[in-house]
Amino acid sequence: MAHIHLGEGSFPLWALALWTLVGIGLISIVVYRVRKGGIKTHQIALAGIAAAASFAIFQLNIPVWGGIHMNLTGLVGILAGPILGTLIALVVNVFSAALGHGAVGLLGANTLVNATEAIVAYYGFKTLMRMEWDVFPASASAATIGLSSGAVLMGVIIVISGVNGSALPRADLAVAVGGLVGLNLGVAVIEGILTGFIVQFLASVRPDLLEFVDRQPSEEEHSGVTA
Amino acid sequence: MQRWKQYGSLLALFAAAIVAGLWGFSVTGGAVPWAKRSAQTLQRGIQEGSGSLVDFGRGVIVAGPIRNAGLVFEYVLLVAALVVTGVGLYLYTDRYHVMEEERA
Repeated sequence: MAHIHLGEGSFPLWALALWTLVGIGLISIVVYRVRKGGIKTHQIALAGIAAAASFAIFQLNIPVWGGIHMNLTGLVGILAGPILGTLIALVVNVFSAALGHGAVGLLGANTLVNATEAIVAYYGFKTLMRMEWDVFPASASAATIGLSSGAVLMGVIIVISGVNGSALPRADLAVAVGGLVGLNLGVAVIEGILTGFIVQFLASVRPDLLEFVDRQPSEEEHSGVTA
Repeated sequence: MQRWKQYGSLLALFAAAIVAGLWGFSVTGGAVPWAKRSAQTLQRGIQEGSGSLVDFGRGVIVAGPIRNAGLVFEYVLLVAALVVTGVGLYLYTDRYHVMEEERA
């Protein structure tokens, strides 16, 4: 659920420019790779549905850990892949900022955070499936690690940038941000479990939609007959 | 990999994350919503707090900036548009996939 909720003008101008440029750099690489390698057709459909789910849940505040929202970016990364996952992170953040949820000036920083979650979750899932893990523990672990990475990046971005109007010395700010990152790790568990169940369900009903999952049902499963 | 190792690793990961979460929850004000928690913590530093980890009485609500600015209708509209686009793409690619198979 990592997402920088600070208002416009919270970051100094140089930090705003820096994160925006890095964000543009990431999107440029992604667009270049899309143009060069193309996208598989089924991924486009998954990306559309994943973007809708991520945007919808992004705006819903659930009553745990004091009141937080989820991102589903781990799920997005596992389903749509790192390339489309990054583009979905941008789209969700643009729509969210348009509604006032997240500053427009922080689009670069927030896209970086959410894209990191999707990218790390994708490669985590890929690695664990190659190690012959079951779908549920692989997807739940990958999503939790991905979301935790995003939370840490969010903390790093805030500490490097500093916050306008905050009288905290950098060391105290780092401790305060550490507390926020810690809370995000707890939330990542909820999202990780949810992601695990969704990916497990998809793997059982439509394995063809998932990369790294065995697409050939066994003869027993296919015939529906068991001994 | 053996199943107990997979689930053991998953549980260890969850346990570490929950410990970090509980620490973060208590040092950043306890049971306060994220936006308020974030603003308070970054302005004033860590502040011990407590309260319930789960508060179902609060319900699932639309994020404050959208609710307060009266943009809930626009939010619902956007979600509906994205869902229709997503499902439309899914149906299209599903049929496209079948057509491709038939051609092959």
